[in-house]
Parts: sequence; C-alpha cells; structure tokens
Amino acid sequence: MGVRLYKKPKLDNPVLVACWPGIGNIGIIAVDILRRMMVAEELGEIESWDFFYPRRVLIRDGELKDLEFPKNKFYFKKTEKKDVIFFVGEEQPSDGRGAYAEGTKAYRMANLVLDVALKFGCHRVYTSGAAVAPIHHTARSRVWVVPNKEDLIDEVKGYENTVLMSDIEGRDGQGNITGLNGLLLGVAKKRGLEAICMMGEIPIYIHGFPIPYPQGAKSVLEALGAVLGVEVLVDEINALVQQSESEIESVYQRLPSEIKEQLDKLKHVDYAKPSEPEPITEEDKKKILQEIDRLFKKEPGRD
Amino acid sequence: MSEGRSFKLFTRPKLESSSLVVAWNQDVGRLGPTVADYLTKKLECPEFAEIGPEGFFSLSGVAVEDDVAQFPESKLYLCEEKNFVIFRSDIPGHDWYEFLSLLLDIAEKYCKVKEIYTVGGMVSSGAHTAPQSLLSVANSTEMKSKMLSHHDIVSDMDYETPGNQRPTFSSFLLWAAKKRKILATSLWMSVPFYLMAVEDPRACRKVTELFNRRFALGINFADIDEEVAKQDKAIAQARSQFPELDGYIGKLENNLGLTVDESEELVKKIGQLLKKGH
Repeated sequence: MGVRLYKKPKLDNPVLVACWPGIGNIGIIAVDILRRMMVAEELGEIESWDFFYPRRVLIRDGELKDLEFPKNKFYFKKTEKKDVIFFVGEEQPSDGRGAYAEGTKAYRMANLVLDVALKFGCHRVYTSGAAVAPIHHTARSRVWVVPNKEDLIDEVKGYENTVLMSDIEGRDGQGNITGLNGLLLGVAKKRGLEAICMMGEIPIYIHGFPIPYPQGAKSVLEALGAVLGVEVLVDEINALVQQSESEIESVYQRLPSEIKEQLDKLKHVDYAKPSEPEPITEEDKKKILQEIDRLFKKEPGRD
Repeated sequence: MSEGRSFKLFTRPKLESSSLVVAWNQDVGRLGPTVADYLTKKLECPEFAEIGPEGFFSLSGVAVEDDVAQFPESKLYLCEEKNFVIFRSDIPGHDWYEFLSLLLDIAEKYCKVKEIYTVGGMVSSGAHTAPQSLLSVANSTEMKSKMLSHHDIVSDMDYETPGNQRPTFSSFLLWAAKKRKILATSLWMSVPFYLMAVEDPRACRKVTELFNRRFALGINFADIDEEVAKQDKAIAQARSQFPELDGYIGKLENNLGLTVDESEELVKKIGQLLKKGH
C-alpha cells in the first residue's frame, strides 16, 4: 500500500487543497470544479485497495479483467501566483462502523496525503467541507473557517464571506469537524503544516438528506479562488445551484404552511449576531425536521 | 506475513502445490458453506488453522439468526491426502484487503497453494427440474484454459457490476490472488430462487462433482443423491397436493415468468414444506 506518483514536477512552495465527500458534498464539488477549471494535471494516486471495498468488477469472456476501487488522486497546477496540489478522494475510508472516516485507516490516509504534500515542499493545506447552520436555503451560504494555528486567525478573518467559530452565537469558538476534512487539519498540525478548513453552510433542515448542496459549494469555491488568486468561472456551479434550488423549492412548496412559516423565520435570522425575530425553538426544529423527512421520503426516485 | 493480525495454526500441513477451496457463509442458498461442510465431513478434514475475528469484524455484540446467536468464524480445514485445503468463513465487515492478504499469506506460506477455487450460489429464475448452470470466472488466461477442460462449465461470461451493487468478495479474492500470481477461479452455481432459503442438494452435488474429478477424491455420492431424490419427491408431492404450486413451477418449466405475488407465494410454500420435512 502506498502512493504512486506519475510524474515529479518542480513546484514552488505549493499549497495543498484536499477534499473528500461529506455532507451535501460541498467540499468535493467546490474543489473538483476548481481543479477542472484550473486544468490541473494528474500527479499520482493513493493505492486504494487497502482502504476500500471495490466498486466494480469487469469480467470479459469468463476472465476477471479489472476490479475498480474508489479513486484517491493527486493533481497539480503551476501558476504565476501559486502552485497548487489538489487531492480528491472519492470515498472516506471507513472501518464499517460510521459514515465518516475515523481510526487507523483515516489517520494513515491523512498521513499519505501529507507525505505527498511535504515531498513537493508544501507548507500550507486547505480542506473543505460543510457547516450545518440555521440558515434558509435562499440565503447565501457563508464559509466557516477553522485554522490549525492561532497565528492564522488574523489572516482568515480577512477572507471574504467567512466566519470563525467564535463568531457563531453560543459556540464560543468550540466545535467539531468530522471525517477526513477535519482530521487532516489535526494531522497537518502534528506534522508542522499550516492548515485551514473552509466549510460552506448548509441549512439545518437539509443536511441530513443525501443530496448535494452546491449553494454551499459555491461559497467555498469563491473563497478558495480568492485565497489562491484564481478568477472563478461560475457557469458550472451556477447551473448546479439553479438545479438544486428548483428541486429544494419544489419540496419546500409542498410543506404545510405552519412549517414553512417556521422555516421562513430563518430568512431573517443571523445566528452569528443575535437578531429579531427570535430564532426557532428546539421543539419547532424537531417538528420541522420530521415534516421534511416525511416529504423527502415521499419523493419518487429517492434512495 | 500480515503483521499484527491474529491467526492460529494448530497443525503444520505437509502440502506441495496444493489447492484452496473457499466458501463464504453469506451465500445464496448457503451453497458455499454446504459444499465446504460436505467435503470436510466426507473426507474427514480436520481444522488446522483459523483467523481471529478481531480487526475484521464488528465485535460490538452478536447477531441472532433463527433464534441462535452467531459469531464470525474463519476456519481452514486440511485434506493432506488429496493435497487441498478448505477455507470456510464469514465475510469480514472491514479491512477486507488485509483479511484476504492474511488468508493468502497462510495459503502460500503454510499450504504452498497454487490454485484457488471459490464456491458461490447465484439466484436463478428457472425451475429446479431444469438443468442448472455452473459458471466460472478465472483470474488469468492460464486458469481459464484449465477450466475449459470441464465441459459442463460455462466459462465465457461477460459481466459488469451494476451501478447500485458492489462486486462479490470472491471477485476481490481473485484479484488479490492475481496480484500474487496465484491462479484462481470462482465457481457460480445457479440455485432456483425458491430454494434459496432452504438448501439445494442438486447444486451442491454438481459443484462437489467437479472437485471430485479435479482432485480425484473418489467420493461416493449415494448420500447426496438420496437427498436430491428426497427433495424432488417432496416437491413433486406438494405439486400434486397444491395445484397452485404446480402451476407456478409449471410456468417456470415452460420459461414463463411469475408475478411478484406468485414468486413470493412459491418461496413461502416451498420454504414451509421443506423446512418441515427436515
């Protein structure tokens, strides 16, 4: 088990941008669009068979020709401003107990990703994921930023459309980032690398459903683009946002009016700063989630 | 040897260029374990090694099946005289590649295995009276040509995993064996869908026959033939007793499909009948 590099380009102090699938696939949508937009070249891959169950077998004329595993690929792009290494993992390694990576396998994968980053002289890592927030789906998602070193706080405060954990009411700067998008921050810290996780907001009433949330991905994409000095072409992400908005809206319109009224309150709530009217209560939240759960389950064609 | 993984070796086998027969407990119609049990019992193969469940299975409790608590098992049985070993195991819940690596380590280091055969059932929509197909998938051209010498095996299958499914664990083993240049083939025997919940001795016989020829085992199949005859008789009696059941099986015999309700009814009736008979 290990890393297979296809080439060894000379990179100048590159940054690593890594992502895995997660809630709303916010991080992976953003990073994959950025990677394709920058026309990054393939750099290598982590051999997957030690981490994952295969996805597909190909048998031809009675002979097993190929067994396909989830891919974990590195890409690179040299630019005038910053050289970038991308890592895109198609699945989080799981030990069969939870939805997100944890334990030995996740730790090993995080270290393999950082091995490659360090090999090319990288000192800065960005990961991305989702932040579950009491926002309305018509609101622009903000990006929660979490650095792995205190002296990065001033820098991330300067990023556009971002909030720190301490800006969020009731959190007092505390929280958790589950899965590899979070774990990589910790492992990077242990190995002396700066790392920042960027998490696009996803409405609390949507995060539990297996649907992408490109609205959150768009905010992460814009933030990452600004950090890397890349002009973001928004056509692709806008098309995804438009499609997602119309799907969510069609479910939303079928909600009972009292539930919609409750959710509409979120349009006026800024949880980062207390505001009027009062936020929805825990009891309201429970009722809303049950109602939306019921609606999603009725949607034809859903798993 | 896969480091830090638990396995126990009770006896050091004396084998050269041996074969390994693999059966997974989670199998259609329990065909694999039935074949493995039949061979170990018939040839009096003692258990000689086992892989521990720690690190491969969730050990947060036990599953209960048919009122009985289950526990994952991964055991190896030795047939020194005929130069082969049998592995009968539950499919691990995680660390799949490490599990297969450990199995292949044991197979290579202690058993000098050169060929692997996995046994599995596949659901058939046909009747039990129709000829049942035995398919093989090899992990190399060399292994495929070896299987071609068995005329009653279908060995030209094309297949791709559909989007909503995952490959079988036997395919994973074939691939892992190929990485080590060990010849391997998976054998897939069709089992009529209404015998999945019970047992299909006819399917078991057909697979066992292949091993009988391949390893010159000299098995006398009188016992399994008796079981086949007994099951056929029980189904025939039920067909004459329940015209509806006869109609369903008759449709299958004439290559006609059944509705979902009819299929469910057939599975239920046959299950009740044969389980009672046992």
